[in-house]
Amino acid sequence: MSESTETATASLGISGEFTIFTAGELKHRLLDTIDHCNGGAIEIDLSEVSEIDSAGLQLMVMAKRHATSQGKTLHFCRHSDPVLDLLDLCDLAGFFGDPVLIRSRQQG
Amino acid sequence: MNLDDALKTFVIESRELLESMEEALLRVEQSPGDRDLIAAIFRAAHTIKGSAGLFGLDHVVSFTHNAENVLDMVRSGELGITGELVALFLQVCDHMGLLVDHIEAGTEPTVETHARSAELVGSLKTLAGRPAAEENTPPVRHETPLERDNTNYGEGVESDNWHLSLRFGADVLKHGMDPVAFIRYLTTFGRIVTIVTLTESIPGGPEMDPECCYLGFEINFRSDADKQTIESAFEFVRDDARIRILPPHSKIDEYLELINGLPEEEMRLGEILVRCGTLTQAEIDAALATQAAARDSGEREPAIGEVLLAQQVVQPAVVDAALQKQRQVKESKQGDAALIRVNAEKLDEHINQIGELIIASAGINLAALKTGIPELLEAASVMNRLVENIRDSALQLRMIQIGATFNKFQRVVRDVSKEIGKDIRLEISGAETELDKTVIEKIGDPLTHLVRNSMDHGIEAAELRLARGKPAHGTLRLNAYHDSGSIAIEVSDDGGGLPRERILAKAIERGLVKPDQVLSDNEIHNLIFEPGFSTAEQVNNLSGRGVGMDVVRRNITALRGSIEIESVEGRGTTMRIRLPLTLAIIDGFLVGVGNSSFVVPLEMVVECVELTDDEIAAAQGRDQLNLRGEVLPFIRLRDLFGIPEAPPPERSEAEKLLLASVDEELAFLLQPIKRENVVVVNYAGMRAGLVVDMLQGEYQTVIRPLGAVFNGLQGVSGFTILGSGQVALILDIPGLIRRVADSESRRNRQLTKHRITE
Amino acid sequence: MAKTILIVDDSASLRQVVGIALKGAGYEVIEACDGRDALSKLDGRKFHLIISDVNMPNMDGISFVKAAKQLPAYKFTPVIMLTTEAGEGKKAEGQAAGAKAWVVKPFQPAQMLAAVAKLILP
Repeated sequence: MSESTETATASLGISGEFTIFTAGELKHRLLDTIDHCNGGAIEIDLSEVSEIDSAGLQLMVMAKRHATSQGKTLHFCRHSDPVLDLLDLCDLAGFFGDPVLIRSRQQG
Repeated sequence: MNLDDALKTFVIESRELLESMEEALLRVEQSPGDRDLIAAIFRAAHTIKGSAGLFGLDHVVSFTHNAENVLDMVRSGELGITGELVALFLQVCDHMGLLVDHIEAGTEPTVETHARSAELVGSLKTLAGRPAAEENTPPVRHETPLERDNTNYGEGVESDNWHLSLRFGADVLKHGMDPVAFIRYLTTFGRIVTIVTLTESIPGGPEMDPECCYLGFEINFRSDADKQTIESAFEFVRDDARIRILPPHSKIDEYLELINGLPEEEMRLGEILVRCGTLTQAEIDAALATQAAARDSGEREPAIGEVLLAQQVVQPAVVDAALQKQRQVKESKQGDAALIRVNAEKLDEHINQIGELIIASAGINLAALKTGIPELLEAASVMNRLVENIRDSALQLRMIQIGATFNKFQRVVRDVSKEIGKDIRLEISGAETELDKTVIEKIGDPLTHLVRNSMDHGIEAAELRLARGKPAHGTLRLNAYHDSGSIAIEVSDDGGGLPRERILAKAIERGLVKPDQVLSDNEIHNLIFEPGFSTAEQVNNLSGRGVGMDVVRRNITALRGSIEIESVEGRGTTMRIRLPLTLAIIDGFLVGVGNSSFVVPLEMVVECVELTDDEIAAAQGRDQLNLRGEVLPFIRLRDLFGIPEAPPPERSEAEKLLLASVDEELAFLLQPIKRENVVVVNYAGMRAGLVVDMLQGEYQTVIRPLGAVFNGLQGVSGFTILGSGQVALILDIPGLIRRVADSESRRNRQLTKHRITE
Repeated sequence: MAKTILIVDDSASLRQVVGIALKGAGYEVIEACDGRDALSKLDGRKFHLIISDVNMPNMDGISFVKAAKQLPAYKFTPVIMLTTEAGEGKKAEGQAAGAKAWVVKPFQPAQMLAAVAKLILP
């Protein structure tokens, strides 16, 4: 997990599980990254996320809103497949407004 | 692993469970308050039912289900343990065994079996206080529908799709339930046309509890599945979530209820439903207008969603205090946590391989000795030790406690004592004594016969017992213990003992002994093992099944064992079976006679002494010697097996030279002295000597059964192949000792007779 | 990466059949014969789901689930408990211990597969 704080563009990489098991810790990291970012932009790298569940999804929403409430912009980038799957399933790609790979929804 | 293998496992497992069920049933009668026993009985039925269901063995499931119902009543204290209940469950146990037999054989239960099932189910229901006709709850439960069915009145909306409205409770994530997982599951039997994820409830940064769930979903779902299937997707969060499922073409009121029942604002929800494509804008406008009008006029909606939901969700968990109190079976009850099941054939194969390994290792050892290279000798001895260890641990694998075999007799004693009208109690000791699996498998029948014989002929009727000053109830004892490399199994009773005179009379009548023969008590007792001997005046269906005690002895002898009797008239009888611990490998003592080699089981060797000419002279032609004041009969193996004298060893040139160069007296001393040795063996308290030429030391031996050619060869129990490739016969010491004892007693008898006639 | 499931039941045949079904569906399956055995298998492995019987020797399912939920790595792991229709009391106890999903014995392999799929897909 890499972190750089007190810079114009803060960035945070999340790796491994982005789930209920890691939610407590990741919430703090996300808030820290946002709060300590002096500039206006935060980038969260999701390329190393191996698993994500509802808890992870909630944190993404929370982080986005928290940044917005401070007048900062937060972007999720390099979404891993599990993240894309989830956003796709919940139809939330639009909510985050981040560029994601367009994939056709799996239809059952 | 395939299903067939699993079915085999099921058969084995069920038999084991039924065995422990039976054991617990027999014990619970004496201690009805023992909750552990009741739990064990319950668990046996429960486990069999659970597994049978997986294999689709419905007849087993429904039969066991009835048994389980009654057991559950016992567990909760509604029903008490009675003799009647135990008797019925013993029958149930037997019947389940029968059903399992059918499964193993792959046959359908017969009409009789089904009839028996029905009969027992009837008895079970009667016992449970339920009329036999009452319909049984089906074993596979159907969940009650989450919501009332969609009664199709009024005009339905246009949508062809289901509408799912989901609000997950705060704790679902903590419980390991992931809302998106349920939604993902929906996609396995339908298509999510539109989904709106509601994230409004997620609090701002610092206040948010990352482990809380704040999510809601509105889903337009296209599926051919029925309502129950869709509902069941959420069965695990039913108590922790608000789930509303509206079928296609539900009437508009239902959507209104939905909107009313949810926390979000009406307008937003209406929007969502439209966005989902569930409702058209016109439909929602009309609906909201109707509702507003109704509210204005003060009418209460007939069915507010919230109320409905409240009604649906309520499912009070009935806390059964009795169940909660019930403690789980003691940990010590079964210490088999880390057990694995191994195919017996594989194990035998493994043991055989180890047998070969032992032989090979002995060969290497001999070869190493010949070379005299220290490194090789060292390596060979290390390997020898390791092979020995492997042998020990491998044999240990086959050792089983005799307890399970003993416990089977609880049932036999119980049933038989009822049948013959005697009150007989069984006491078991030494249940933890271990012996080889093969021996255990083969000892059951002889043991059964001895037990039945004791119950039938040994223990007297109550009146007679009282007259003899004994307690009215007879006691039968099963005991096992290790004794000098063999295992002793005793069947004792406190009955009348063997009637010496009656046995003798019968034997004379049958022509087994001559009227003038003088027999010791022991010899008379042993007569009952003669073929065709039975003292019972009336042959009943227990002991008189055409299997005599002679068969018992034959079976035991076939296991390289022996049986002896201790009996005191009026006091009781003990039948003692002695068996080798294992049938596969023995520690042997290798001896040589001429060019032949023999193996004596090491555990029976007491000592080795030199047979001097003085002693031979002192024996006065009789085959016995004086061993520290005791008379020891002996057998010359050379005579027994007709072995020719070995030719004098070839002398080397050097020796010849040496002999030629020394004087006559010295040459005599250098002559190899023909010296014999006596191996003193002990078995079942009797001693005998075996006269051999050479003592070759301890030797590990794999017993190979004698082929048909050697069958009936006296004094030999098997053979083995030595490391050198030579064949060595394994001596049947019990047989030889019996032989010595017989000839001894014959001689004594003749002597006594002489004295009498004199 | 296949999802790994721990199945805990004292019936070997039940474990085998469920194992066959789950493996066929693409899950990895580890078996344990009772609570104590199961607890010893939790270390050094990530299970995505635990299926456990209630009534078992040595350590029953409820105690096992309670103990497992104490471990950080299994605090939030979904648990399916196997029960009988007669086990309502146990169910309340199990719910308190953190087991929210219940499957009633006897069940068909397909029923178990469906129950598992609701919680995790392979």
